[in-house]
Amino acid sequence: MTGYLIRRLLQTIVVTVIVTIITFLLLHLVPGGEVRAILGVRASPVEVRTYSKEWGFDQPLYVQYGKWLWQMLHGNFGFDLKQNAPVSTLIWAALPRTIVLAFIGTGVGLLIGIPLGILQAVRRHSVADNVLTGIAFVGYGSPTFLVGLLLVQWFAVNLHIFPPFAPQATSIGGILSDPVALILPVATYAFVAYALWSRYMRSSVMDNIVQDYVRTARSKGASERRVLWGHIFRNSLISIVTLLGLQLPVIIGGAIFIEVVFNYPGMGLLFYDAALNTDIQLMLAITVLTTLITILGNLLADIGYAMLDPRVRYA
Amino acid sequence: MAPLLEVNDLRTQIKLREGVVHAVDGVSFQLEPGETLGIVGESGCGKTMTALSIMNLLPTGGHIAGGSIKLNGQELTTLSDEQMRNIRGNEIGMIFQDPLTSLNPTMTVGKQIAEAVALHREVSREQAMDRAAEVLDLVGIPRVRERIKEYPHQFSGGMRQRVMIAMALACEPKLLIADEPTTALDVTIQKQILELIDDLRIRLGMSVILVTHDLGVIAGRADRVAVMYAGRISETTDTDTLFNRPRHPYTEALFQALPDKAADAGERLYSIPGLPPDLVNPPAGCRFAARCRYAVDRCRAEEPQLVSEVAGHEFRCFYPVGPSERTDTGRLATYNAAPAEAALAGPGIGDVLLDVSHLVKDYAVTKGAVLQRRVGWLSAVADVNFTIRSGETFGLVGESGCGKSTIGKLVVGLEKPTSGSISFEGKDLAKSSAREYRRERRNIQLMFQDSYASLDPRMRAGTLLREPLVIQRLGSKQEQLKKVAEMLDKVGLPRTAADRYPHEFSGGQRQRLGFARALMLQPELIVADEPVSALDVSIQAQVLNMMKELQHDLGLTYLFISHDLGVVRYLSDKIGVMYLGKLVEVGPAEEVYLRPAHPYTKGLLDSAPVADPGAEKAKVSEGVTGELPSAIHPPSGCRFRTRCPFAQAICADVEPPVQRFAGEGHLAACHFPLQTALGDAVTASAALPE
Repeated sequence: MTGYLIRRLLQTIVVTVIVTIITFLLLHLVPGGEVRAILGVRASPVEVRTYSKEWGFDQPLYVQYGKWLWQMLHGNFGFDLKQNAPVSTLIWAALPRTIVLAFIGTGVGLLIGIPLGILQAVRRHSVADNVLTGIAFVGYGSPTFLVGLLLVQWFAVNLHIFPPFAPQATSIGGILSDPVALILPVATYAFVAYALWSRYMRSSVMDNIVQDYVRTARSKGASERRVLWGHIFRNSLISIVTLLGLQLPVIIGGAIFIEVVFNYPGMGLLFYDAALNTDIQLMLAITVLTTLITILGNLLADIGYAMLDPRVRYA
Repeated sequence: MAPLLEVNDLRTQIKLREGVVHAVDGVSFQLEPGETLGIVGESGCGKTMTALSIMNLLPTGGHIAGGSIKLNGQELTTLSDEQMRNIRGNEIGMIFQDPLTSLNPTMTVGKQIAEAVALHREVSREQAMDRAAEVLDLVGIPRVRERIKEYPHQFSGGMRQRVMIAMALACEPKLLIADEPTTALDVTIQKQILELIDDLRIRLGMSVILVTHDLGVIAGRADRVAVMYAGRISETTDTDTLFNRPRHPYTEALFQALPDKAADAGERLYSIPGLPPDLVNPPAGCRFAARCRYAVDRCRAEEPQLVSEVAGHEFRCFYPVGPSERTDTGRLATYNAAPAEAALAGPGIGDVLLDVSHLVKDYAVTKGAVLQRRVGWLSAVADVNFTIRSGETFGLVGESGCGKSTIGKLVVGLEKPTSGSISFEGKDLAKSSAREYRRERRNIQLMFQDSYASLDPRMRAGTLLREPLVIQRLGSKQEQLKKVAEMLDKVGLPRTAADRYPHEFSGGQRQRLGFARALMLQPELIVADEPVSALDVSIQAQVLNMMKELQHDLGLTYLFISHDLGVVRYLSDKIGVMYLGKLVEVGPAEEVYLRPAHPYTKGLLDSAPVADPGAEKAKVSEGVTGELPSAIHPPSGCRFRTRCPFAQAICADVEPPVQRFAGEGHLAACHFPLQTALGDAVTASAALPE
């Protein structure tokens, strides 16, 4: 396993370098060049030239990339001129907020989706299964922002039960101390997550319920409850854990519209603003971070897979 | 003695979208304590559904619609779920066909067995594990204390089936139901498992219901047999009587379709025409009437009941075959004369067509996902020599993993040999250029085991058959279509079949289609890799007959690869026996079967069950003990020595030379052959130890 992890780490480095090169090149293709993106359309050619020289934008791209990479390796993600703060400060402020929202949302979604998925698989084609399938398809098919806006309309605007915006506190403690404000964004997130995971779990259990080993368990005299929880459950989770790992970047990134709708200053909102303002340093940093999260998710999926399925051993 | 199990007029139905399948339709039988009952029949006849009904483990949509099942006088069909759970695994144990899929892959074998104990006995976790170790030891698993913590995938096929048996017997049930327990296993392992079941039956004093399609398995193991057809028992009696004096035409036909018996005479196999009836709308009258050669109008109109002429022998037929036990006038005698004319004259055998010389195939065993480091070699084929003459059938037999399929792939060109040569009509295929190779491929075609998996499901039969012609750019479209139509005639499929998709054919028809595809380029050599293994006996006979006829008509040469010794013997002129990559014996078919020189050949022949209770009981040899060693580190010297009863020190040190034996071209490589060698083989180089 150790050798495997070392190899995966090496892979991670290679992949990250490739992704940064591609992103770096793409972001330097912004219309008018990145200096114009910073100074604005009204800047005079002289100003652009002076600025380019001062900040090294006149150097060849590979030199710029090398410098950027070198700084990044030293923990310096650059300085965001639009928000007048170091990029790393902005990210470290936003990331925990997103993690709180995404993990609570996914957690609630899994807590609802997995049992309902099992229920649907066990009573497949029953009325309950069909109704739940309908609900899940609605969640699956609706854009997140629409779900968010509808919830705001009903529960905040019409019924005045919950506030229409997420907690505005800057610290995690502050966010968690305002749970009522957290309910609508989490509910939006959880609804979409539930739809996804209940479908995955339903089909995973249905794949397993017809397996020969299930019949063997019954032939031993095991009750249906025992067959389900003792045999089918763990085997069904194998594919769920794999998918969960692969979904990690989506879980983090999936918050983007929810954060915009509820004005929740997390990674999603940060990236949204960066894209609107052509904030190159910030976008580069977020891309690198997303790459690392994607690779981490893959690694977690593989480790979880090996833990649940004894047939898989990495050497 | 009161019977242990009484099944009376059992009716099991399965609701499907197309309608209600009458899977078991009025089945009755009894089972005495300590007795083994064999239930035999072809796929879809209801034998497995009968077994599952007893356990009340029917698949979704299935239910017992009528009749009674009594275990020790207790009615099982009316029990509640909870009461029935108390019976399952406790009073009745069951083992299934595929021991890999039948075990939970994510649970250690120890836990799986302990679960069965804990469900029925008031024991602690430790006690349950102790009991698991005890039964694992009982079924012959070595090093139980270590293996109990392992997962099913860490066991070999035979060992997995032992684990299944241990699980079924953990609570010492009075009845063991074994549903095709050895179908997925090699003959040598099959014999070990069947022996184990028999041995445990006696030691634990239980009864066994052995469900199988294999008449050979039944012959040596069952006290009584019930033959099932289309959801009903068509004949039931004690094993000896059934095999010697069958009365139902279906039973008779099953025996005549077996290649083992026909091999001696070289006669055409009897094949049962058509397919079993649809059990959604079972036909009126006798269910076998449509396929019965003796059927008259009465059979199609009126349903025969189970009758008996002597106690204990019941059959469902108005006009039974065979010498009647009362009158001694039967029709078997008149029938036996009939197939003589159908026997085929042997095709002309010509010059050497395929010459395989010093053929070696090693596969690299690698480790690591990124940098594939080679950590060893898997020796799949090791220095194999044989020749096939044109018009001949060369049968290649051996256990799974012996390298027989690899040879097939090498000959067809799907794999490149590591060294050695494969000459076809004097040209070395391994050395020819890619272009020559493609041309040469026309002459060598492959026929697969699983025609369902090997035919593109989204192509119509006509397109599938035309494809080889299109690839090789042979003829215009009209000519190609004409050839397709002719080929369908040849393999006995209707011309309209060209518009159908593979899934619309039955198993036997699909195998005909697969054969037709192989024949499209008019090849000289057909490599047939287990072409009939997935088929029922009666259908297998149809395909074998067709292969024999077309060999005669088209002058084909076959390299026939199979694990089934009976089938290989029936079809082959020459036989090669493989063991762990080595060709240990080769020679004329009859010579190898009747006077094997290599102990492995002998062991393999002894392991294969024969559909003859007398012969099965007379067997004293235990076949081949142990399991196939790994081909990554094959044993030194003679590779068979680890399982050979005659192995001496020299067998480990020196690779045995190939020697000649009585019979034309009869060669074997053994230090202690079962008969005196006539001298070293002509190909002296092959004998040199490496």
